Amino acid sequence: SIDTLISSDKEKDPDVIPEDSSLLTLRIRKKALERREETIIVDRACRQETLAYEMESHAIGKRPDNPTDLVEEGELLLTLNIFYPVIFQKHKDHKPYQTVLVLGSQKLTELRDSISCVSDLQIGGEFSNQPDQAPEHISKDLYKSAFFYFEGIFYNDKRYPECRDLSRTIIEWSESHDRGYGNLQSVKMEDYTFNDLSLKIGFPYLFCHQGNCEHIVIITDIRLIHHDDCLDRNLYPLLVKKHWLCTRKCFVCKMYTARWVTNNDSLAPEDPCFFCDTCFRMLHYDAEGNKLGEFLAYPYVDPGIFN
Amino acid sequence: MSSVPGLQADCEELLGAFQDADTVRFERFAELWRERRFHAIFYGRIRALERNKLTKKTLELAQQYFLPPYAFQIRVGALYLLYGLYSTQLCQPKQKIRVALKDWPEITKFHRDLIDSQHYDAAYVFRTLRLARAFHFTAMPKLLNYRTKKKIQENEFKEEFKDPSNRVNTLITNDVLEELINIHDHYQKMKCVISADKSQPDKALSLIKDEFVITLKDITLEHQEWQQNRMKLFLNVKDTDEISSKKEERTLLESEGSERANALARIKYRSYSAVVEAPKSRRHRQVKLESSESGLNYGKSPSRSKRNDRRPQPARR
Repeated sequence: SIDTLISSDKEKDPDVIPEDSSLLTLRIRKKALERREETIIVDRACRQETLAYEMESHAIGKRPDNPTDLVEEGELLLTLNIFYPVIFQKHKDHKPYQTVLVLGSQKLTELRDSISCVSDLQIGGEFSNQPDQAPEHISKDLYKSAFFYFEGIFYNDKRYPECRDLSRTIIEWSESHDRGYGNLQSVKMEDYTFNDLSLKIGFPYLFCHQGNCEHIVIITDIRLIHHDDCLDRNLYPLLVKKHWLCTRKCFVCKMYTARWVTNNDSLAPEDPCFFCDTCFRMLHYDAEGNKLGEFLAYPYVDPGIFN
Repeated sequence: MSSVPGLQADCEELLGAFQDADTVRFERFAELWRERRFHAIFYGRIRALERNKLTKKTLELAQQYFLPPYAFQIRVGALYLLYGLYSTQLCQPKQKIRVALKDWPEITKFHRDLIDSQHYDAAYVFRTLRLARAFHFTAMPKLLNYRTKKKIQENEFKEEFKDPSNRVNTLITNDVLEELINIHDHYQKMKCVISADKSQPDKALSLIKDEFVITLKDITLEHQEWQQNRMKLFLNVKDTDEISSKKEERTLLESEGSERANALARIKYRSYSAVVEAPKSRRHRQVKLESSESGLNYGKSPSRSKRNDRRPQPARR
């Protein structure tokens, strides 16, 4: 049959490049490989690469246990890049982002729930005097409002009574003078699915939560669902790529992730200074739990917490 | 996306050899493939993540040759190439070929052409790819990637692969000619109806040439023949090694196309280089000549601007 015409006559090892190849690609690749062999001591996938590959391919081909959760044929699959809000100096050239796959029939609220941002976990308040009471309310529970901005329409999250319309300020601002923005509207996020939207690929849109934490959202690809994709509806929105952020370690032990940050601390060598929970208590409080020295302490959530 | 080094050269070499073979049979393509052992293009101890990316880029490059404006033979070659690359890739599960929504009607048309012209092996290859679920149906042809490119790489594909773009033919197609004939007949009938003699239109109403549709068809055919002859001459010139004959033929070719342009340029230069000198009262505003040889202002009159390439200095009194 036709297939046998192409496949190799002798079984060759795919790792070895044939010696007398006439292909330019292989010649170049061979040189690069030889260079790699000279310079790299251990040639093995580092854990970040393994993690990235796992993320990309862990859901391929999955089928649900419950047949009602099966994604149907003709469903659209969108690939979104959601950028981190951090503005470090080193991120000037390429901002770190996570890539999420969503189905066309999913609601915007499902995407909103799946976006994990470190600002959601922040705990407000100074807790130097009562360190044991710290983790009470995280910002995610306190400030539930959020909105998406697509093509001139703000989609506000109105599922809970505490949610406010964050986009109202912007709409009022644009209507106060003739600023050149067309009609900006505000609707509810939970009423819309991705199939209802008209979108541009590659155009930056906005997701805003916590009042001022803004993420840029870019749609990179829209395609039909394929037999080899993950067909379990419960797994969507599916995270396929994440940027690896280094976590800040405790200043004292350099082992555990920092959970506290102090300012104006007479006991600490720098301002601000990061501590893990154990080292923090050991340094700043005596055996009875009395506060030693003057300082301000805030609970700290590291951006690398989602690694 | 940075491209795979050397891949474009290899693909073009293979497709060029296929074009020279002057056939669309799959056996011929398979021979060429085996000669070059093309399946080894994925070899080289590449780890899984990198392999996925590489295969995606390879398929994307090969897929570009599959669409118009490439010549029919190149497109069939690209189809075979896609089939070969898809089957011999080492990724598990296999990377798919991206097909954009706007290209799908053209591809189906291509498939039907293949069946109509009885190239059953090519049609079978296409059908196999579809049955193997090798396609991703996407909105856009290229997957977006966000790295800042230092310079935007322009993919220069070989001119010879492209079908000579025959703009005249795309404008005056058979459908258009048919319609013109219909309208012309209708027009004649209307003229007959309103004139005194019902079988013939009035002499006063004959404003156009009656045979103009046929003349138009003849002219377009002539143009197409001329273009094909020119292409053949051009290709022959590239192959011959003799310097003297090459020079002659090349000058012949060049002058054929640009003869008119050169003549026009000469006339323009002569007429516009005689600059009228401004009278004494306006000495501070002498006329400056702007040369339109860059071709940008072709057809427009040279403007009296400060920028000038060549200006004969008017003698100041």
